[in-house]
Amino acid sequence: MSQWLADVIDRAGSVQDWLSPVRGEALATLQNQQWPGRRTEAWRYTSLHPFDALLAQPGSTSVQVDSREFAIEGLESLDLVFVNGELHTDIGSLSLPAGLSISALDQPTDNARSVAGQVFTQVKPERHLFGLVNDVLATSGVIIDIADGASVETPVRVINLVTDKVESHNRVLVRLGKQATATVIEHGSGDGASMNTAFAEYQLGYEARLEHYRFALHSADAIHIGGSHFQMGEKSRLNSTLVGYGSQLSRLDVDIHHAGEHAFAKFNNIYLLAENEHFDLHSTIEHAVPNGTTEENARGIVGDNAKAVFNGRIHIHPDAQKTLAELNNRNLLLSRRGQINTKPELEIYADDVQCAHGATVAEIDDEALYYMLSRGISRSQALVMLNFGFVQELIEQMPNKALRDWLQPKLKTRFEGMEVK
Amino acid sequence: MMLSIKDLHASIDGKEILKGLNLDIKPGEVHAIMGPNGAGKSTLGYVLSGRDGYQADSGTAQFNGADLFDLEVEERAQAGLFLAFQYPVEIPGVSNMEFMKESVNAIREKRGDDPLSASDFLKKAKEACKQVDLPLAFLKRGVNEGFSGGEKKRNEIMQMILLEPKLCILDESDSGLDVDALQVVANGVNSQRDGKRSFIVVTHYQRLLDYIEPDYVHILADGKIVKSGDASLAKEVEKTGYAWLGAKAEEADA
Repeated sequence: MSQWLADVIDRAGSVQDWLSPVRGEALATLQNQQWPGRRTEAWRYTSLHPFDALLAQPGSTSVQVDSREFAIEGLESLDLVFVNGELHTDIGSLSLPAGLSISALDQPTDNARSVAGQVFTQVKPERHLFGLVNDVLATSGVIIDIADGASVETPVRVINLVTDKVESHNRVLVRLGKQATATVIEHGSGDGASMNTAFAEYQLGYEARLEHYRFALHSADAIHIGGSHFQMGEKSRLNSTLVGYGSQLSRLDVDIHHAGEHAFAKFNNIYLLAENEHFDLHSTIEHAVPNGTTEENARGIVGDNAKAVFNGRIHIHPDAQKTLAELNNRNLLLSRRGQINTKPELEIYADDVQCAHGATVAEIDDEALYYMLSRGISRSQALVMLNFGFVQELIEQMPNKALRDWLQPKLKTRFEGMEVK
Repeated sequence: MMLSIKDLHASIDGKEILKGLNLDIKPGEVHAIMGPNGAGKSTLGYVLSGRDGYQADSGTAQFNGADLFDLEVEERAQAGLFLAFQYPVEIPGVSNMEFMKESVNAIREKRGDDPLSASDFLKKAKEACKQVDLPLAFLKRGVNEGFSGGEKKRNEIMQMILLEPKLCILDESDSGLDVDALQVVANGVNSQRDGKRSFIVVTHYQRLLDYIEPDYVHILADGKIVKSGDASLAKEVEKTGYAWLGAKAEEADA
């Protein structure tokens, strides 16, 4: 048991709100949890050692933030800004399009309460320790409801900024009704030695369509643990892109649960780790019913002394005939001291399925480099093109142009600062 | 003189492959280099282009007055040297278009020309694509990614057309091609013969030389040019093979 976890359990006792009954159940589970160590399979390659010297403290230090810091050129979005768990947006002042309702987690409308009843801890009932921590402590967050048939064009963006030495827990709950369409962006940013957990749960109704982005862009000293969990209704469609960097410890769990038939999920993931950074992505795709499709592509570039962990699990249940599932993880090591642990995990109990998976780790391809040089391209430019090209492919697949145009140079600049050793 | 190679020696992994090669090429000339496998034909292309591990042990190569071996790989390309690879490299994630645009503009920059705008480049690329009979979709695909052998060779010729080099070295650009593809490649090359641009056509077989008529033919065996002549020498090789070169070459062939 870590001191930090003991404190969490202690603090959880004093959280009293409308979600208390559910939080209570989570707390009971949490109290029986072991602090994960090297022998805990799900944490085997990700050490929780940084928690021993945690600088972040819970508390609502009021910080003024210039919202322009988060402005993305060309992106017209409905922004909900959280700073250290404090909501800086007056939801009442937002002009919301028809069919969209947004509630703060600590000031729910009746409708939001009913959404939370369906979504909170329901989309992903089996949560790991930090998911449970978030269950018991996250009093900040939003509940987003898109009514049946509503098509919300404007992306909803939840900005979650955590500043140096602050600990914060945030939750996003989203329900898309029947044939509803929406774009949701989880934009997380942790400064300095911040520590935060941020979990989101999405329930997609019949023929609902969700375009989803999660940006987990943290400083090198931050600790960030979070997840985005999706429950796919019949014929629903998900297009999700997750982009992560930074952190002495970053762990994200993405779960896509095909609960209704003929759902389609596309999930792309990019990570770009500079010196000493650690990024761990666990994705779990559950095909519980027939005729579901999942396409997952994860690509990462790992710098000197940095470490990436990728665990991609696909579980095809006995009834899930005609499932199409593809999972691919490709990594590029910029240094011999970088480390990648990649593990596709397939469990298939149905016989009429198409399932493909692959994982590769490569160093810089000397032959490709020579080829580019032989065409007159300078060495530095060739290296950038070769290596960045690798993740660029996934950036280009993002449906939102403003986000593509924002992310591409941001990642490229970051990449150019990563030395090849 | 476009290229002047004097007494070139080069070894790979400690084994001497080129053993005193001499070759002079004037602007506008087409030189075919033929020879058995293992004679050092591909090595010559790599040494001239500057591939890692293919450094010259001794000898010189003057390229338009500059010492070629003083230049980095990219500087040689910028100076107008082009090698069409026998096995073009696949680069997923970098589009053919982006790759060629970067190349063309790197070379233009060196020449003191302004970079081509995206639309000007696209126009040129489309024309070149047509010329080598590749669908336009190939511009958007990753460099050589999933291309067939013939498509890769045609992509090399497309690059050659776009880069407008001074000296082109074609390393077995005919290998693995059927007659139609061979003709496309040869037409691409012939379209670039303008009386100034020079070519070294490296080939094992005489077949390509039916389409690209050389001014000179050299037989490379055991790291040296053992015989030079005009186009008729290629026909002779076609009839007699390389057996007349003697035991030494056959050993190299093995």
